[in-house]
Amino acid sequence: MNNVSQAEQELAEWRERAIAFEQEIQKAVIGQARVIRLATICIFARGHVMIEGDVGVGKTTLLRAVSRALGGDFARVEGTVDMMPSDILYHTYLGDDGRPRVEASELLRLAKTLPVFFFNEINRARPQVHSLLLRLMAERSVTAFNQLVRFPYLQVFADRNMVEREETFELPAAARDRFFMEISMQAPTDPEARRKLVFDSAFQDVDALLERVKPGTVDYRRIGHVARTIQETVKASATLQNYVLGLWRGLTEPASVGISLPDVDVTTLVKGGASPRGLATLARAARVRAWLEGRDYLTPDDIKDVFFEVMAHRIFVDPIHALRGDEPVKQLCHAVFDATPVP
Amino acid sequence: MRVAFSIILAFLWALPAAADDLRVTIHSARPFGYFVGDLIRAHVEILAPGDVTLSASSLPHPGPLGVSLDLRDVSVRVKAEGAHKRWDVDLVYQNFYVALDVRNIEIPSFELRFGDGTVTVPAWKVGVSPLREIAPAKQERPEDYLRPDTPMVFADEAPPKFLTLLFAILSSLVLAAVARDRAWPPFHQRRARIFSALAHRLAAQTRGGADASVLSLAFKSMHRAIDLANGASLLADDLPGFLSRRPEFASLKPSFDRFFSASRSSFFAVEGAPPADYSLAELLDFARALARRERAR
Repeated sequence: MNNVSQAEQELAEWRERAIAFEQEIQKAVIGQARVIRLATICIFARGHVMIEGDVGVGKTTLLRAVSRALGGDFARVEGTVDMMPSDILYHTYLGDDGRPRVEASELLRLAKTLPVFFFNEINRARPQVHSLLLRLMAERSVTAFNQLVRFPYLQVFADRNMVEREETFELPAAARDRFFMEISMQAPTDPEARRKLVFDSAFQDVDALLERVKPGTVDYRRIGHVARTIQETVKASATLQNYVLGLWRGLTEPASVGISLPDVDVTTLVKGGASPRGLATLARAARVRAWLEGRDYLTPDDIKDVFFEVMAHRIFVDPIHALRGDEPVKQLCHAVFDATPVP
Repeated sequence: MRVAFSIILAFLWALPAAADDLRVTIHSARPFGYFVGDLIRAHVEILAPGDVTLSASSLPHPGPLGVSLDLRDVSVRVKAEGAHKRWDVDLVYQNFYVALDVRNIEIPSFELRFGDGTVTVPAWKVGVSPLREIAPAKQERPEDYLRPDTPMVFADEAPPKFLTLLFAILSSLVLAAVARDRAWPPFHQRRARIFSALAHRLAAQTRGGADASVLSLAFKSMHRAIDLANGASLLADDLPGFLSRRPEFASLKPSFDRFFSASRSSFFAVEGAPPADYSLAELLDFARALARRERAR
């Protein structure tokens, strides 16, 4: 009993810190409250994040602000078409004596103190690089210099440029499934935020902007522990579990729960995905959201709030609908929520 | 119209006549160009003092005035003009004189009695003309002397039939729209009253007892009714959107919040435990309030 109340008190304190963390990031990134909330959920669920969006909407600024607020180090690589996995692990150069040298890359050097590894334009890198990254994401370790190197605090933030199609390598379904969330980041819609971004010179100097963010608002070394406590503490009632199972059924067999979509044959729409891992991830994200909302139990609203970002990239539709982008999946998700009764 | 036209022309040619303080003017359409059978319209204007009256018996009587001139019609109008009165006598003569050449015929004078005095409308003349045949060009066939008949008009029936049909359909649609708006049959069935039906069901359940399982079922019934009104499953966070789409329920927002909060704690916070501070009676009141708002729509 004592342990329970202690955990509750600890979570309440951490919740305040998480809210402060969000507020710190909002000093540098304005008009993106939802994206910041989703990023916070990912951090406290220890999940890897894919951010996609137009060029120049502030993806990098957001990640640098997150990294600064978490304290710890920040490593970044740019995806390029000729990049090889060794480029991520090793730093090769010519020494003063003219001999080639191989040393650990920035990523390896910072392994013990690295909470944010930012992979910019992941879809420009080749599949060999993706495979290394997937191992890093799944196991939080790599083998280099004949040794196993662990990354105890690592979270990967990847960014995908959806504008260009040439010289890019689309991530395979299995790779996308490893990402905890796929967050879409658009330019803010609030006119005041837009005005500031265009005319306030403070928002054009990223380094000065990041100075506003207080470093180490939350301690990245404690996040693993907090994440575990959240998952152990936030309850999911039987009614809620039934609700999530109902959603799952609606996703995999839309016709069986009476869902019909315009211009889409729902019986053949979903070809794969919506896996147990996906649903478990959904519950994990929803628990963090419930905690951020100040509750110790899950509600359907928590599920709905994170559903699209957690699930959409794990649902694979018939290729005939793939040209329409994520629109069919979005429609399906809406229809499933509309058709599943609560409680 | 024709009279008015004559009068306008009359100013080209008028015969004034005066007796004491009575002034007589004769107007006519034209003084010439009459054929046998033509009507000659004359308009006699008498300006008289305001206190004297025209004696109707002194007016000329319609009938033959000679062998070749008839008086067809006499009419009198009176109008005040300052201190005077203006008497307008309209006369219609018909000429029966068959003239062999152009000559003048005389329209005889007559007297009109005003009070004790009389005024003479003088005789005046109009020119009559003979009717002469104009020999047409020689035609071979007798029927060629006749003017051709007006060609027959062939009416195309298709456009009017189409327009009739179109307007019939439009009228039916408009009638249907009006009938729907006014809830005339067959549109007299009312919109489904979801919350009224729910209130009836809940009232029946309340009579059966109010243990925890009844309350839980009642909560679910209320959720299904709200889902039905929303057209989709409604979660607590979706409530503002629902209330903006259905503003008739907006005034019940505090009740909605209380219900959703109670439902949340009952179904998700503490499994199976009914909310301590929410009774079936309160749920019933909420359903009845919703039903009232629904009827007021």
